[in-house]
Amino acid sequence: MIPIRSYVSLLSRYLRRVKARMTVLAGFALGGIALQLLLPQLIGRFIDDAIGGAATDQLIPLALWFLVVALARQALAIATTWLAEDVGWRSTNELRSDLTRHVLDLDMDFHKEHTPGELIERVDGDVTALSEFFSAFVVKVVGNGLLVTGILILITFEHALVGLILSVFTLATLALMMAVQTVAIPWWKTQRASSAELMGFLGEQLSGTEDIRANGGVGFMVHTFTDILRRWLPRRVRSRLGFAMLWGTGIVHFVVGATLVMWLGTRYLGPGGLTLGGVYLIFHYTEMTRNPMDEIRSQMEVFQKAGAGIDRVTELMERRSNLDTSGTTAIPSGALSVVFDHMSFAYADDETSTVLHDIDISIAPGRVVGVLGRSGSGKSTMAKVLTRLYDPTQGRVLLGGVDPREASLHDLRRRVGMVTQDVQLFRTTVRNNLTFFDAAINDERLMSVLADLGLSNWLDSLPNGLDTMLESGAGGLSAGQAQLLAFTRIFLKNPGLVILDEASSRLDPATEAMIESAVAAVIMDRTAFVIAHHLGTVARADDIMIIENGTVIEFGERTTLQADPTSRFSRLLASGMEEVLA
Amino acid sequence: MSNPQTVPTRKLMVQLANRFRFRYLMNLAIWTSMWALPIIPGLLTRRFFDSLEAGTAGANVATIIVIFLAYGVARLAMMLMGMWNDAHMGFRLESLLRRNMIERLYALPGAQSVEHSPGESISRFREDIEHVEEAHGWTADTAGAIVFSAVAVVVLSSIDLRMTLIVFTPLVIVIVIAERFGTRIKRYRLAARKATGAVTGAIGELFASAQSVKVAGAEASMVAHIDGLSEHRRVLMVKDRALGAALESVFWNVLYIGTAIILILSAGSMTSGDLSLGEFALFIYFLDYVTDAVYFIGLFITRMKQAGVSFDRMIGFMRGSHWSELVQDRDLALRGSHPLPEISTARTAPALETLVVSGLGYHYPGTSHGVTNVDLTVHRGDFVVITGKIGSGKTTLLRAILGLVDATEGEVRWNGMLVRDRAAFFTPPVSAYTPQVPHLFSMSLRDNLLLGLQLGDGDLARAAYAAALEDDILEMPNRLDTPVGPRGMRLSGGQVQRAAAARMFLREPDLLIFDDLSSALDIRTELTLWDRLRSGNTETTSLVVSHRKPALKMATTIVLLDEGSISAVGTVDELLKSSRLFRDLWHGTTST
Repeated sequence: MIPIRSYVSLLSRYLRRVKARMTVLAGFALGGIALQLLLPQLIGRFIDDAIGGAATDQLIPLALWFLVVALARQALAIATTWLAEDVGWRSTNELRSDLTRHVLDLDMDFHKEHTPGELIERVDGDVTALSEFFSAFVVKVVGNGLLVTGILILITFEHALVGLILSVFTLATLALMMAVQTVAIPWWKTQRASSAELMGFLGEQLSGTEDIRANGGVGFMVHTFTDILRRWLPRRVRSRLGFAMLWGTGIVHFVVGATLVMWLGTRYLGPGGLTLGGVYLIFHYTEMTRNPMDEIRSQMEVFQKAGAGIDRVTELMERRSNLDTSGTTAIPSGALSVVFDHMSFAYADDETSTVLHDIDISIAPGRVVGVLGRSGSGKSTMAKVLTRLYDPTQGRVLLGGVDPREASLHDLRRRVGMVTQDVQLFRTTVRNNLTFFDAAINDERLMSVLADLGLSNWLDSLPNGLDTMLESGAGGLSAGQAQLLAFTRIFLKNPGLVILDEASSRLDPATEAMIESAVAAVIMDRTAFVIAHHLGTVARADDIMIIENGTVIEFGERTTLQADPTSRFSRLLASGMEEVLA
Repeated sequence: MSNPQTVPTRKLMVQLANRFRFRYLMNLAIWTSMWALPIIPGLLTRRFFDSLEAGTAGANVATIIVIFLAYGVARLAMMLMGMWNDAHMGFRLESLLRRNMIERLYALPGAQSVEHSPGESISRFREDIEHVEEAHGWTADTAGAIVFSAVAVVVLSSIDLRMTLIVFTPLVIVIVIAERFGTRIKRYRLAARKATGAVTGAIGELFASAQSVKVAGAEASMVAHIDGLSEHRRVLMVKDRALGAALESVFWNVLYIGTAIILILSAGSMTSGDLSLGEFALFIYFLDYVTDAVYFIGLFITRMKQAGVSFDRMIGFMRGSHWSELVQDRDLALRGSHPLPEISTARTAPALETLVVSGLGYHYPGTSHGVTNVDLTVHRGDFVVITGKIGSGKTTLLRAILGLVDATEGEVRWNGMLVRDRAAFFTPPVSAYTPQVPHLFSMSLRDNLLLGLQLGDGDLARAAYAAALEDDILEMPNRLDTPVGPRGMRLSGGQVQRAAAARMFLREPDLLIFDDLSSALDIRTELTLWDRLRSGNTETTSLVVSHRKPALKMATTIVLLDEGSISAVGTVDELLKSSRLFRDLWHGTTST
């Protein structure tokens, strides 16, 4: 039942690196157990000697030895815990790192299906459980198992038959504990489900109080609340009785064990049998088995959970990306030409409805293309194909003459830059937000890039310059400022193709002016796709592309289209974009 | 802005015990006995070893074993009873606290009810309440631990006073010191927890930004950053756990040192026969239990302090409440029949003739955002639209009128009568309200619409039709009985908004109040909805926040807000002529 084999096979690569520590750990654990077994022996010896009429100065050293051994055993126990934790965390930290990278490299279809919260649980939660599994297994199960075994062997040395009887008794108690636990686990689960139900209910209530009160629903909600409690109460009582039953096995163990020892002790006391000290020793030892057995029992539940965690981690590790990333072709330097060669695209989860249909367009290097279309028309999907977040379903795309599927992904991502409407910020400094924590990018370089983009003033306006802390989400920065940050991000890698999805919200004039100049700097000498929400932006485009329902319904030079009163573009200009595109 | 009142932990605990007096007294009796009972096997063990030493064991052992087994049965029965009673008592205690907190939540002005993140607030309903329940349960145990320790010390003193004093005095001191150190370990634990928060936070951010990171090609540096955080956590975690183990070992060391002292002191007296083997065994046996008891009492003191902090947080959550409201008696209705409460549809106010708002002002604390000196009048049958740029105070004005924020300036009159407690007054059947982002709850669509109203399918169908939701319901797998999912997530944004509208219509209020109802609706659906609203019942009066043309065109009066004050009032045609700001909004040219 203990998933030790799958655990080792999952972690073997990582555990190998901490081999030396593991050896020391085993030494400490075994030493600790030996000392723990020695302690009652010393007491037994003391009693026999004392009753046998030994002098006080013979007994005192024995008592002092007892103290020394006890303290040494505690020191070893602490060292064991410390090392076990250390080994557990060291090995799982590496696993966590590999797993994070692996999940990050999975395709966007995967990321669309899994919330960050769920991934935290699987990458950190499950792996942390593995680390705890390690320390718990070494210290609690192996350690306690050896301790109980040692105790029974030593009792057998005192008296073979008594040892045999107590061994059977110990096994029977462990079996009883396990049986009770098997009964109780489902009870604990239903009680936790009830607790989760109430917390889920409360979470909704917290955000919805206005709706409830302003629509007269308070009485109903209190009624629902009470209903949940009424369902929970019997489950709660039953789950507590589960704990009580486990406690009960402890009581049974103590009472039956003690009476058993009294009976056996009386029976086998005497010459050729047990000494008085021996009876006391067995009494003490029997009592000593209770705690370790309880620990072993309670760890069983932990192990069952760890088993599920190991399965989940393995499953995640085996998940493969839909994107083949083995390509190695280099992408040429400088501005990139873009060719859509009868390209169509549909998302994997809904293959029947194509999002982009048969797009067949060539764009020369250095052109600026203004892309227009209602939301949901396929504009941002096109951007995702160009950055190779997705591969076309049919046809192909060529960037600088290279099919992204054959290009090295690292090269491709370096050569294609994208600024999306909602810029993702991290809860850290502006510097880290610009460099994605890449320490190789120094401040001089950042400063010069910011100057090139005309953002030196913006930087100066931040309270602590590059060290200004940002909140996660959009916190702290306006949408426009976040975009400025994103422009800097892509400028740092000097791409040959940039895709800009403009912020549609209204900006304050100062930010808007900065964005204007930053956009101009970013698209200079590069091929650019500008997904536009304002007419002002497309004014600087060389070409205009209008997309409707995944089809390019108009493509051509801006000046030509503008001059043609029958073109969609000129009609758009005439009617005002907001009405048509909203 | 919770008011700083000192929270009397002890008084709260006593009041809680009072609420469940009978069960608490039963708990006290059972757990005191549970702690005191182990004295019996201690004495039996002594008798056994003494008779063994004297060579008279054969005669006595049968009696001792029988008493021992009887003790086992009694202890088992008592423990089961105690756990059962404790489960009932603890659950009721928790339920009472939760109920009092949730009642307060519903009573608070909406905007102020939740000061913290939902996770933070939930932890007050979970961890804090559990802390209090546990500390409360432990009061009975602590009483038992004290009784047991006292009896044990008396029994042992009668055997050997000197040894008792020498063994137990250092024990108490060491444990007290160890307890003190316990607060230090809390600091390490906090640091470790914070480091974990940093790791999970970074992982969450990374996956939330997976697309940006991929497009930037920044995978390696991002993962390296997380590795750094993980390493930091390892150091803190190992330190925390090792310290925990060290602290626990102090406790065990006390036991061993005590045993060693017993050995040293008994060396002479055992040889001489002054101390029997049974007495020696009793010393060691009691030493174990008394150490446990003292340790437990120390833990209890810590738990009480924790419970004090928890009380503080819970009362802070019930902003503006006196501490006694947290523990006030209520019928929890955990047993017996539990019918749905009858919702009174009786009029609480005369039918609307006029609603007059005058001089109304509210500003968010510490900012200049808000609304200032607003006057407006709504007549029966009006369709009043409040409009303005983003951030002009539209939503704040609605909330101030409804009492969802505590507007300190100005007043609201209903048919000339001053409305004092606006939050309580503006509820059905006087009015119903749908906020900007309406909330649905994880139950069936039917329950979401009714919220306890006892109406039939006919009424539901009429409300759904009025809200232009009838076709959507037909497409749902179980029609009205379809569960809408947590926070209504299984519905689209537009469906949630129309469901919220239907929820209002069902209540047939005098005054309908919508905040930007149509933001997730396409133009056609929005037109249908307004059409049905106007044609269905000309008697309805609506107060609406919107910036969309269909609503503006329908308005009998438009109130144009600018930076928190009224800029103009009139119909579309009037405002198009008179207000430049309105023209800008209407033509959507404000961005250039």
